[in-house]
Amino acid sequence: MARSSKPAAQGLFQRLSGWTPQLVLVPTLLAAFVYVVVFSLWTLWISISQSTLLPNMAYGGFGEYAALWQSKRWIVAYQNLFLFGTLYVLGSLIVGTLLAILIDQRVKFESVWRTIFLYPLAISFIVTGTVWRWIFHPQTGVERALNDLGWISAQFDWITDRDMALYVVVFTGIWHASGFAMALVLAGLRSVDSDLIKAAQIDGASMARTYRRVVLPTIWPIFVAVTVVLLQFAIKTYDLVVALTQGGPGVATTVPAIVVYDLMFQRGQIAQGAAAAVMILVALALVLVPYLIWSIWRDKQGKRTHG
Amino acid sequence: MAEVSHQAYDPLATGSKTQQARSRGIVYVLLTFFALLYLSPLLIIFMNTFRPLDEIVREGFISVPDSLSLKYWGEAWGSFCIGGTCEGVSRYFSNTLLMTIPATIFSTALGLVNGYALSKWRFKCDAWVFGLITLGVFLPAQMTLLPWAFVLGQIGLSNTIMGLVLVHTVQGTSFTTLFCRNYFVAVPDDLIKAARIDGAGFWRIFRRIMLPLSPPIVIVCVIWQFTGIWNEFLFGTVFTSGENQPITAAIVAFSGSGTGERHYNVEAASVIFAALPPLFIYVLGGKYFVRGLTSGAVK
Amino acid sequence: MTKFGKLLLGTTLAATTTYATSVVAEPKTNMMHQWAQGSEAAAIAKLGEMFEAQGGTWNQTAISGHTSNTLAKLRSDVVAGNAPAAVQLKGPEIAEWNATGATANLDAVAAAEGWDDVVAPELVSVMKPTGNWVAAPMNIHRVNWLYSSPKILNELGLEVPKTWDEFNAACDKIIEAGYVCIAHGAADWSDTTTFDSVVYGMDIDLYRKAFQEADVEAMRSQGMIDAFAQLRKMVGYMDDGINGRSWEQSMTMTMTGEAAFFLMGDWTVASANLAGFKEGVDYFCDQTPVNWGGDGFILNADSVVFFNQKDEDYVEGQKLLASIIMSPEFQVTFNVAKGSIPSRTDVDLSEGGFTQCQQKGLEDLKASVEQGTLVRSMAHNMTVLQKYRGAMMEVITEFVADDSITPEEAANQLADAVELQS
Repeated sequence: MARSSKPAAQGLFQRLSGWTPQLVLVPTLLAAFVYVVVFSLWTLWISISQSTLLPNMAYGGFGEYAALWQSKRWIVAYQNLFLFGTLYVLGSLIVGTLLAILIDQRVKFESVWRTIFLYPLAISFIVTGTVWRWIFHPQTGVERALNDLGWISAQFDWITDRDMALYVVVFTGIWHASGFAMALVLAGLRSVDSDLIKAAQIDGASMARTYRRVVLPTIWPIFVAVTVVLLQFAIKTYDLVVALTQGGPGVATTVPAIVVYDLMFQRGQIAQGAAAAVMILVALALVLVPYLIWSIWRDKQGKRTHG
Repeated sequence: MAEVSHQAYDPLATGSKTQQARSRGIVYVLLTFFALLYLSPLLIIFMNTFRPLDEIVREGFISVPDSLSLKYWGEAWGSFCIGGTCEGVSRYFSNTLLMTIPATIFSTALGLVNGYALSKWRFKCDAWVFGLITLGVFLPAQMTLLPWAFVLGQIGLSNTIMGLVLVHTVQGTSFTTLFCRNYFVAVPDDLIKAARIDGAGFWRIFRRIMLPLSPPIVIVCVIWQFTGIWNEFLFGTVFTSGENQPITAAIVAFSGSGTGERHYNVEAASVIFAALPPLFIYVLGGKYFVRGLTSGAVK
Repeated sequence: MTKFGKLLLGTTLAATTTYATSVVAEPKTNMMHQWAQGSEAAAIAKLGEMFEAQGGTWNQTAISGHTSNTLAKLRSDVVAGNAPAAVQLKGPEIAEWNATGATANLDAVAAAEGWDDVVAPELVSVMKPTGNWVAAPMNIHRVNWLYSSPKILNELGLEVPKTWDEFNAACDKIIEAGYVCIAHGAADWSDTTTFDSVVYGMDIDLYRKAFQEADVEAMRSQGMIDAFAQLRKMVGYMDDGINGRSWEQSMTMTMTGEAAFFLMGDWTVASANLAGFKEGVDYFCDQTPVNWGGDGFILNADSVVFFNQKDEDYVEGQKLLASIIMSPEFQVTFNVAKGSIPSRTDVDLSEGGFTQCQQKGLEDLKASVEQGTLVRSMAHNMTVLQKYRGAMMEVITEFVADDSITPEEAANQLADAVELQS
């Protein structure tokens, strides 16, 4: 650079430094734009393209959506997503809250308990799903153990029952995620103003009542946050089901992510797989849009109250 | 944060002494019940690492070992044939470390700066920028597989660990930005204002004020990212080949429903090896994880 | 930020420069396959040793488990613009990838080594979808094996059934005696493996029309309804623990005398021997029942497809690899470990450690070629396109799982599912 341009460059530098916060975000923003917007649009286009074995950008119409919605497996998978999602999120919240409350009783060895309940998050489902399959299976697991102990009529065969198998998936999902809910709820409990609780105790409220009426309501934003994180887990659920039931008996426990992967990669129907992925995005939007509206509304409320 | 004042109260400290003892008993009974339930899969895996294959095949998985043999641990680590080379999981283990550590560091660092910029330097449309970045959290991996393959091919990173680092950094930054932004929002704006009046710029405030405040959230990000990336298998198997594959690819190799026989004992030992680093991180950081979350990672 | 960028750029450059080094053409390869562990992986390691012994540089990518993982990687690599040199692919996929123009031509090697003369004829058409060799077959698996428990058969004084009627009669007795008749682990591929044998054993023409040509009318025919009725009957002969059970566990049930029969391909042999079960003592192996007499063979074969490469080294490597795969020496090593039989019919199975079952498999293969009864397996992806196969497997596995579906409904659903895909 020529010396004479130095003042101008300095000016530019100063102006740029005013933009630092925005500039800092540029790389992430670009990456997120490509990752979120471009990838989604690409998938959308592929879903109405003529792609089969490999992506092919030529327009092919909406036939794949029609075919998708005529497939029994997909309909079961989509229904499972909503049923599984609801039970999994509610179950994890309830169990997680219970565990958090138990740990909150100034128990001894708090960190040991906490670690035990958190560890499922640290191990991949490929591993734990398989073990749970052994446990649930009537011939290798609980039923066999009970029979061996002399209780011959003991029966526990949910995993082989097409009406109950999904609940096995829900149970294992809750086992995996409730630790996360516990950690967040526990964090919330610890942030509650203790004066509130003392006041309730002085009023003679029982412990259960104190939690129900005073403590838990004050940390409800945490429940919303946990719900959103868990819902995205639910929608992405793949390896849990693959390891546990492989979508069976029959197609009873299939979930959308499995269908997408199968169509796109196993069967070479990339267009139909993309159509299925778009339907997952639609399900996501059903969850996310209300959440976004809510959080923007909350932001505005917050601004108003803080001045 | 609120922890200190919280210690002053004990929810069980009501009612008579016997009542207190009884409710305390119930608490421990419930905790023990859940703990056993939660630990059972781990225990079963652990026991199967000691049992010879024919014992497992004949007696089933849920049974106490007849004898203790550490042989399978050794095989799993150093000599079992996975992916055609008979070096056990040790090689994959280091691949995963090479991938997980940089991706965790990059995404956490980016998340910190992004979170700080988004929470303390409000500008027009910042909510939209934040929304766009966090949307990345929700995309199903199966959907992004082929586009990523194309991008990695274009920039010459396909089939490299570096490519995986890039993928995990981009995806992880969505998470870390979400966590850090929500954490930094809780830092009083007055602190920043005062620093700016003193003439401190963006980076100076970051170094002097934000960084010293950030250890709890850094731990949350590191735990989240490290375990997430460590356990991820789809991208790991698809975007690497041969000697670069991560340990999850080796674990998947075990769990395949292929037509080969399964060595459950070696599989179980490999699984323990693969689970050790994330477990270690949780045991070590679990306390800070909760503390970090307490101070506002998720609000 | 800039530091991160520089670091990223630096490593990118480093990565790209290491790629463009060697100048002289030395055979090199990177083979992508599914045999990721245990004895199968050891067999592939042997392939690598042979490759290196002949001066090649060997590399491999083993992706086990579901075929979809391998295919996902293949597709990603092709999309990323670096198709792998050699990939384990089978059946109609060979033709599909051939149609994309991405596969390499092996005619020169094949002609020099006379592959046309030694490879089983039913395989040649699969390996040469448009008249050129694009794949090298590694083995032949037999799908229609019936393993039976000597203990139960002897105790009840039963013979191994030859027809489906005999099979049903035997099962009735076995159930009465308190044993499980059919050991089974339900999954789409294993349910379909069983159904392959049923349709084939009941009506070989129906099998060819419905499962090899995806003829929808044949799927709706009375023959298919009868086949589903037989399958329904067989589900009744299974215990109620079939879901979530692996095929190895079912195998063990038969080998330990808990169940009488097990229908599965010959990979069972490798697994059973490894678990210490003895042929003739713990299990018999015979062909699954056929109503039309004679010898039957449902064929499944693993093969390696070669993709076009820019780098001369890899092109050289493909020639060398193809030649080694087809060598009798490798075929023996690999197939002893896999429980299958060599893809070339001129290998002597009495040497090298092949079991009685494997030798019987080869005899039956030759006999079925003579009798014109050899077919390829639909369940193991040797006949129709994956989209048809997948659609059919869904219907079959649902039929096994759900008692309320009648054979008529199943036959119609099968046809509907295939029609929907075309």
